[in-house]
Amino acid sequence: MSDEVLLEVKQLVKYFDVFSRGVFTRKKVGEVHAVDGVSFAIKRGETFGLVGESGCGKTTTAKVILNLEDATSGTVNFEGRDVFELLKSGKRSDILQIRRGMQMVFQNPYLSLDPRMTVFDILSEPFIIHGHIGRSDWTARVYELLTKVGLEPYHAERYPHEFSGGQRQRIAIARALAVEPKFIAADEPVSSLDVSIRAQILNLMMELQRDQKISYLYISHDLSSVRQISHRVAVMYLGEIVELANTDSLFEHPLHPYTQALISAIPIPDPETKRQRIILPGEVPSPLNPPPACRFHPRCPYAQEICRTVKPVFEQVDTDHFVACHFWKKFA
Amino acid sequence: MSQLTEEQTAPPKRVHRQRSATQWAVAWRRFKRNKSGVAGLAIVIAFVVFAIFGPLFAPYPPRSTESLLQGQAGQPPSWKHPFGTEINGIDVFSDSIWGARNDLWIGVAATAIATLIGLAVGALAGYSRGVIGGILLGIIQFFFVIPTLLLILLFSRVFQVLVYQGFGVNLIVLILGLFGWPGISFVIRGEIFRVRELEFIQAEKALGAGNLRILFRHIVPNVLTPVIVLASLLVAGNILTEVVLFFLGFGPANVATWGELIEEGVQYVSVYPWVALFPGLLVVTLVLGFNLLGDGLADALNPRLRE
Amino acid sequence: MKALEDLLKVEDLRTYFFTEAGVVKAVDGISLDVRKGESHGLVGESGSGKSVTALSVMRIVPKPGKIVGGKISFDGTDLLTLKEDDMRRVRGSKIAMVFQDPISSLDPLYTVGKQLIEAIRANNETVSKEQARDMAISLLSNVEISEPERRFNQYPHELSGGMKQRIAIARALARTPTLLFADEPTTNLDVTIQAQVLNLMKDLKKNFNMTLVLITHDMGIIAEMTSRVTVVYAGQVSESAETHTLFYHPTHPYTEALLKAVPRLDKRKQLQSVGGNIPNLIDPPTGCRFHPRCPYAIQICKEKVPDYEEVETDHFVACHRWKELSLVGVQ
Repeated sequence: MSDEVLLEVKQLVKYFDVFSRGVFTRKKVGEVHAVDGVSFAIKRGETFGLVGESGCGKTTTAKVILNLEDATSGTVNFEGRDVFELLKSGKRSDILQIRRGMQMVFQNPYLSLDPRMTVFDILSEPFIIHGHIGRSDWTARVYELLTKVGLEPYHAERYPHEFSGGQRQRIAIARALAVEPKFIAADEPVSSLDVSIRAQILNLMMELQRDQKISYLYISHDLSSVRQISHRVAVMYLGEIVELANTDSLFEHPLHPYTQALISAIPIPDPETKRQRIILPGEVPSPLNPPPACRFHPRCPYAQEICRTVKPVFEQVDTDHFVACHFWKKFA
Repeated sequence: MSQLTEEQTAPPKRVHRQRSATQWAVAWRRFKRNKSGVAGLAIVIAFVVFAIFGPLFAPYPPRSTESLLQGQAGQPPSWKHPFGTEINGIDVFSDSIWGARNDLWIGVAATAIATLIGLAVGALAGYSRGVIGGILLGIIQFFFVIPTLLLILLFSRVFQVLVYQGFGVNLIVLILGLFGWPGISFVIRGEIFRVRELEFIQAEKALGAGNLRILFRHIVPNVLTPVIVLASLLVAGNILTEVVLFFLGFGPANVATWGELIEEGVQYVSVYPWVALFPGLLVVTLVLGFNLLGDGLADALNPRLRE
Repeated sequence: MKALEDLLKVEDLRTYFFTEAGVVKAVDGISLDVRKGESHGLVGESGSGKSVTALSVMRIVPKPGKIVGGKISFDGTDLLTLKEDDMRRVRGSKIAMVFQDPISSLDPLYTVGKQLIEAIRANNETVSKEQARDMAISLLSNVEISEPERRFNQYPHELSGGMKQRIAIARALARTPTLLFADEPTTNLDVTIQAQVLNLMKDLKKNFNMTLVLITHDMGIIAEMTSRVTVVYAGQVSESAETHTLFYHPTHPYTEALLKAVPRLDKRKQLQSVGGNIPNLIDPPTGCRFHPRCPYAIQICKEKVPDYEEVETDHFVACHRWKELSLVGVQ
């Protein structure tokens, strides 16, 4: 991992409009605040973990970064160039250049591969789109990709439905690798896989990072796996990042009450480790009308008046440790 | 990275022998197990063969009143006229054969036109967001709610003039095709909404694939299965509409179709019941065949039932 | 530890699915002892047969599945020879089940209250509608649902996932069963909600004096919630022991592999993955079903099915080499 920043996300915002439909009318009645002012930077060769519960906006963040969804506002710089501007410029060469640099691996390997194409067609699709590999080299390159992700060349002629979930996820990773990207957003890449298969895929991802210096945005609700593979971690709650730190300090000295509760909620596979569990009351509020000021205050065991009225600043509390809480000093 | 290609003098050959069963092959295997579907397919194939080769053996040309002059009008079935003759001496057997050719052509060609229009409009309506999508949806809804049969009747009267230029059957094809597509469009649009949000489409976008490539190479092939089912049902529907058209007296004159025979037959049903009976049975059988085929295809292609 | 008596004893259960592609031997000789009052973990991956085992005990295996062999005795009754009518009385009142997906396990057409009343009065007409209503409301407060009166009249779609799972639990408890199967009850829930539901289940087990069989793939939940564990792999039991023993002194290579492959939140460790894939149960591997993925496999493992042997009291394993291997548990 180097110190050079590869991808920089600045004040990213994504609201989804909510409409109420009449017979002839469509009236905007509100906005889902899916992502609300998220900023972070990912270095070359780094794995950046993004954790949070369902609906916190972590998947939307990845989709907006890759412009699979349009951003409401904010910018993303990739190797110093403005991604949204380049993609919108309409210049085919710029678009392809950005797409070659950034790829995504999706959560559900049963939905992320076209069921009507063979693995060979799936993996050579990027060559057709980008034209960076001559047709005579396709076979060699497809076989090389398959071997790289731990599959066999003869798998190329099969259809996705003939593979297990873990193997499909390998194919999806191979497809992302086909354009030789520098950055991959991996959205819950192992959560739909079996326990004994998850480690295979996580290890494969780490191996590829070592060999090719790929940076990852690793999105997951599974904090245990995040701890294993991430260099730095950000915790999201209702569209905002509430804490960001390097992995060990986040897990060992969490400063935000939400991070603390999240960590304490994970059962540890060791019967002798008994921990004090913080049970949060209630459920995550709707992102349609997020609570004012600190969005966590309705569930926070330490909430005071100030939490309901003043939005906490996202402040640096240590090298590589940021938190948005009025009372972080209490936990330091 | 380039090790592999440097080490080998020639690039590795793809081994196509191991290519495994496509989803179509799997569906065909499922279809074969479905008895009523196979029966439907057999009926349809039999009629197609009948329509192609039957005319070679038809004793009389279409609409031929030859027998009238021989005093053979209005005869019950006999060896000479297996289905009997009608009041003008037209041999019902011969016209049923010519009718099979015309009716299948009407059913299939009109369905082909309707499917192509339905596919194109439905695909665009499903894939374009915003104003264009809204306008296309409006058009589909408009054609869906207007009383199609009335328009078909209207058009067949208005364009009657074309019939005298030998455009008879194809006029019906055109009219049925131009009004038969909204159902297909609706289904396609809904399917595209579903498929468009699937992750493999997002993956294509992330790879930088253009909109047309995504639409026609990835989305359309994945929504084709319901179209195949609908199209096979639509063929049956079109044949029935043809019969109705003639029955109501709106069919072009002097075209040998089952509808024409049935219309004539019903007028004199108490005197010459065989005139309507035989073509009626043919219509029922062929429509049943297409319906069974459609049902069988629906089962075979339904991914939820797939193992 | 005090010896507890057996509540549920499953012996050599075989449940097969007769599909178009072939016979899927989903459960192929699973044995299980569940003692009165314990929390028993049934751990395995997808296709291991853990859910089908529970469905078999309830005798609600969906078609084309069929129980083709074995014996299930519950509280002295042989469940497999019971008439369907009698079995229906056992379901709900003695054995109940909570499913993984709270969304599809509740009927979207009926209110929460209707579904609870129906569960309370099933095979039990002595309870009047008014009594049932009161019982339903107290069930809702038992599963810690706020404003039970209001929730009573709501439809499932108006509730969050965690709330639905609480309702599903309340419905399972309607007839105060002695044995509760919970099949991945928190897998679809968020972690903070999972913590709530697990806590709730612990409390309910105590208050209702129930025996719990917790089916899960999550070794963390097993460690935290259960006192004994049975590990299943590809339709067969590989190991069964007290939870502590299983984590610290595993004797089956699959158990060891699971423990090594699961990441831990509290420390960073090298993840050691198990190679290969989960076997196809139409044509399962010969001999020990884990042998194609087992790092310790030798010739005999390919040829002979291992016996299910007693390692020590309350600790059983099905492995040819358990005596010679010294496997590593949690460190």
